[in-house]
Amino acid sequence: MTGHGSIVLIEQNCTSCMICARECPSWCITIDSHTETVVDQPAGARARTENVLDRFAIDWSLCMFCGICVDECPFDALEWATPQALPARTLTALTHEIPDLSAH
Amino acid sequence: MSGQLLSAEDVPTDRWLSSVQHARDLGFDYFDWLGCTDDIGRTDTFRVTVVLRDLADGGLRTRMLSTAVPRDEPVLDSIRTVFVGAGWHEREAAELFGLRFTGGDGRRLLLSPTFEGAPLRKEQVLGSRAAVGWPGAKEPGESAASPSRRRMVPPGVPDRDVWGERDSAQPPAEPAEVAASTGGGRVRRRSR
Ligand code: SF4
Ligand code: SF4
Repeated sequence: MTGHGSIVLIEQNCTSCMICARECPSWCITIDSHTETVVDQPAGARARTENVLDRFAIDWSLCMFCGICVDECPFDALEWATPQALPARTLTALTHEIPDLSAH
Repeated sequence: MSGQLLSAEDVPTDRWLSSVQHARDLGFDYFDWLGCTDDIGRTDTFRVTVVLRDLADGGLRTRMLSTAVPRDEPVLDSIRTVFVGAGWHEREAAELFGLRFTGGDGRRLLLSPTFEGAPLRKEQVLGSRAAVGWPGAKEPGESAASPSRRRMVPPGVPDRDVWGERDSAQPPAEPAEVAASTGGGRVRRRSR
């Protein structure tokens, strides 16, 4: 059974929709993204843009492990994982970015 | 809970104490809990609920009583003369919802003596949440929220038309209006 030690981000599933950041009661998820025009479109198709994730961070010093973000993500981009978020010497070091949040 | 559905028996406020007493005399002599909810937006009342149990049958027989306390006169008889332990729950409900329990223990339980307001009333604005940056304020595709266009507000902070940047020529918003706009989400432009 998967433990509740930390939360991992499955980056390729994330659409930068902001839902988790808005639902998180502790305000500990920070997301930056930008929009890009989709290039390989069939000829004649209307130009389309998509969101590209630049930054996704969870501040483990604020997170209360409620799991709301995991439940709310409509794209299954957040999952519980057994390993615990590693302790750190400073509060700022407890903010984990995309590489730290990727599945182990 | 023991898995069964409880339905509350609605009791008029002036019969609250006697109804609790009656239930105890019927054998529901174990006090489980007392709680309060804010009914604003549906009715101008707070709902106080108590759950009592009959331990003789493994604690499975329960009686739930509830009463609607008017918002403009939030006073209810204390039941701590019947169940001493209820006093603790009443203190919590009193400070969190701004109720008064006649004959109850008037001391605060959790909040500091200097705290003003009743934090679980739904019209209670979480002012400090308006003053700091909310990570959810950005739109997808943004890396900085533009402060001039505040389109999303966090739960607990009303629309700015209601609170914060309200037209000073208007009277302060009614509690129900504040409560209705503190759910968080997209700011709805009000039609005037
Ligand atoms: S588990 Fe809860 S507190 Fe932690 S990031 Fe998710 S929503 Fe926020
Ligand atoms: S809710 Fe899911 S898809 Fe949306 S931003 Fe959060 S992790 Fe990404």
